[in-house]
Amino acid sequence: MSEAIHIGLDPLNTIGNATARVDAVERVTGEAKYSRDFKLPGMLYAQILRSPHPHARIRAIDTSAAEALPGVRAVITGDNASVVWGAGSVSGGRQYNDPTKDATLHRRYIFNNPLRFVGDSVAAVAAIDRHTAEQALALIKVDYEELPFVLEPEAALEPGAPQVWPDGNLCPDFRNNFEPMVSNLGDVEAGFAEADQIFEERYETSFIHNAQMEPRAALAHWEADKLTLYSPTQGISNCRHDTARDLGLQDHQVRIICNYMGGGFGNKNQNQDADLVAATLSKQAGAPVMLEFSRRDDWLGVHGRWPTVQYYKIGAKNDGTVTAIQMRGYSGMGPYRKNSGGISGMDVYACPNRLRSISPVYTNRTTSGNFRAPSEPHGFYGVESMMDEVAYKLGVDPVEFTLKNMRRPTDDQPFTNYSLDEVITRGAEQFDWASRRKTTPGSDEGPIKRGSGFSFMMFRAGVGTSSAIVRVDAQRQYTLFVGVTDIGPGAKTTMGMIAAEELGVPLDQVEVVAGDTDRCPYSVGESGSRTTIQTGYAVMQAAKDLNQQIADSGMPTGSDVLIASATPNPSTDGKTRQCFGAHFVEVEVDTRIGTTRIVKYTTVHESGRIINPTTARDQIRGATLQGIGQALHEDLLYDPASGQPLTTGYYRARHLTHLDIPEIDVTFIEVDDGYGPFGAKTAGEAGIILAPAALANAISNAIGVRMTSLPISRDKILEAMA
Amino acid sequence: MGDKNKADTSLNPKQRSRREFLENAGTTAALASAVPVLGISTAQAQSDTESTAAKTRIQLTVNGSRHSVDVEDRWTLVEVLRDQLDLTGTKIGCDRSECGACTVIMNGKPVYSCSQLAVWADGAQVTTVEGLASGGQLSAVQQAFVENNGPQCGFCTPGQLMTATALLSNNATPNADEVKQALVGNLCRCSNYNAIVEAVVMAGERSGGAA
Repeated sequence: MSEAIHIGLDPLNTIGNATARVDAVERVTGEAKYSRDFKLPGMLYAQILRSPHPHARIRAIDTSAAEALPGVRAVITGDNASVVWGAGSVSGGRQYNDPTKDATLHRRYIFNNPLRFVGDSVAAVAAIDRHTAEQALALIKVDYEELPFVLEPEAALEPGAPQVWPDGNLCPDFRNNFEPMVSNLGDVEAGFAEADQIFEERYETSFIHNAQMEPRAALAHWEADKLTLYSPTQGISNCRHDTARDLGLQDHQVRIICNYMGGGFGNKNQNQDADLVAATLSKQAGAPVMLEFSRRDDWLGVHGRWPTVQYYKIGAKNDGTVTAIQMRGYSGMGPYRKNSGGISGMDVYACPNRLRSISPVYTNRTTSGNFRAPSEPHGFYGVESMMDEVAYKLGVDPVEFTLKNMRRPTDDQPFTNYSLDEVITRGAEQFDWASRRKTTPGSDEGPIKRGSGFSFMMFRAGVGTSSAIVRVDAQRQYTLFVGVTDIGPGAKTTMGMIAAEELGVPLDQVEVVAGDTDRCPYSVGESGSRTTIQTGYAVMQAAKDLNQQIADSGMPTGSDVLIASATPNPSTDGKTRQCFGAHFVEVEVDTRIGTTRIVKYTTVHESGRIINPTTARDQIRGATLQGIGQALHEDLLYDPASGQPLTTGYYRARHLTHLDIPEIDVTFIEVDDGYGPFGAKTAGEAGIILAPAALANAISNAIGVRMTSLPISRDKILEAMA
Repeated sequence: MGDKNKADTSLNPKQRSRREFLENAGTTAALASAVPVLGISTAQAQSDTESTAAKTRIQLTVNGSRHSVDVEDRWTLVEVLRDQLDLTGTKIGCDRSECGACTVIMNGKPVYSCSQLAVWADGAQVTTVEGLASGGQLSAVQQAFVENNGPQCGFCTPGQLMTATALLSNNATPNADEVKQALVGNLCRCSNYNAIVEAVVMAGERSGGAA
């Protein structure tokens, strides 16, 4: 097997040692129970009827034939089930904020009228089995009034464009202001005046479905006024709170169970409409209800990364100093602004004059939302393609250009530590950047051309609050209660390792209880790469407390136990805390058929101290591969004439398979900056940020043409070479 | 599953052909497969909630145990495994032959159980992920998955394991390229492909064919 290289810190007793997951056996024997694997007595199966039109008003729905079908137990539509889905709509990136969800003008319900995208929910049925439910859907008669639709964000802002909402297609923010998101630093016009040359280009990126292997499902079960939901969620605490609020319940009236879930990458945050639909059907039918999304339901009814258009203008001096960066961006949010629509990247440069304006725009495509590093991969692709082009036009090595222009700690804004020089320099050396890159892009003779590209990043690794409980009994068995769900990165194992390290016991003496809101305290939710840092720090503090109790009063005896809990709220003392990374890739482009083959891929990351080398290695490799898929293949294409989605599935969106996979070399530079649990930082999102930029730069280096549109599919390469 | 009720602009011929199978092929297969049952376990739905659709009795051997199941013509093998036999280790990722999460070994070959009608499995020998370990011992490929982080979210893992097991029974010590060729029909959106291939190669090297 291929191990990552670790530089800088020695392993501790448990932390830093390659460790098999605590639940690995369950995962390889089929014993692991995912949401759809539960079955309750009398359980009904549910299906959702979805809009066949990109934009339509429902004049009338007739459900009588569906209700009359033997075996059908409940049919709900907007007429008899008006439930707000708070997390599904305008949040402006403030999706964790209740006042925002209450204040928004653009409220989303589980069934909406008008319908605003192909796949918008129209009705739902619960029946004795899934085939009867499916038959019942076909018996629902809907009278649609088709409305004009718009698919592209820039077109949606044109005068006279079809209106997705009555207030216009520029999305409101969480205060109901209909304005672009603007950040303005220094004086960009003065920066352009100072420049020797100005560079301008338009970049665009595609919708990337999260496409997690487990389609959305929810099993709802009421006992009196208490709801139990078996739901694949990235955060049981957030899911509980959201569901309680949407259904008018108190948090304690909702129990969320999620011990295993089949990936999410950001689209299983919070609660989902599936949770609310299953709960509503279950209430109405008086029986447990299992709602199962098909793959197509999931592709259209959940969400993916927002597509963007980015206009850059860069000012630079002939010596390679960047004097101004301006970006005007448009993010296609679909008809509901579920998340921010952010386009990040320019802030990794030190240039003092930076102006960014992003318009999140409503369209009649399916909803956009968070995907692993929500604002980053497409933004880093845009800005680092732009900078790569500037470097080559000025005759400067892009690595030298970066070392000259990248953001560094200042007296005004110190960092907890800073590793970017070492990360980039080591990566360049390991990759042999100097000899692999083409000083003159596209200079290979013949139709098969090689080239190399590079990208770099820093990304938030801030600290924050979360909770943990640790217990020890007289048999010296430790139990750790944490509200994590383990979406794939291995959080149960990581939490157990942190506890074992701090308690000074072997990992097998610590049982980890997770994934159940009735048994576990609050955890931040497995999004934003925060679990290791935040919940891990709470685990560490609870274990310290327990150690102190043991020191004070000795080990418990008989049936006694000692219990410690912690909800720390740490700070970084005003310092910026970041993780760092650099990717180097060499590609071979066959310009006759437009294919791109990856020859060598080198990653170097500083994510603080690595808790579990095995799972950390695969966070980097897996995320990098997802980024490669974004760079080369993935898109949700729509037919402009009909507004119908065309690539709702794995084959059609051309997801990577085993045959597409290159070796990914991983190096971790390990540092303990004194913050977070044992110095651990962000890892889960780090790998995906850099792959599209590095790959796009490598392709341009190979063929000598700048590729300004993702995915860099075969047709675009052929067009570039024509 | 509800696709056919919608304005589906599907262009995937695989999906189309499977749907036609489901709609047209079931009856014939059911007639041919009605067989008597003697003294073996029978899985039945609760009578008060049972569908009135016609059923056909099939017999199949799953992980060494014989079962007799009354199946509707429209049921797929994965539905029988999960819903009737409570073998939920086999996952449904797409239900249309795209992802491989539902892979089981049927009569020695890896198949997508979402795209096998249940009536076609009459008389079949089926192995699911629950049947890989024996006597509490993980198989070589399961053990390699444990050690080399084969599962991330774990949802594709049963399918990857079944295809890998079928590969190892035909090629005891595959190299990485052979593993990739064999497993191309098993997608992993965590994109843990490198670790999966490494684990399968490792299992072959260790057991030299005893997997």
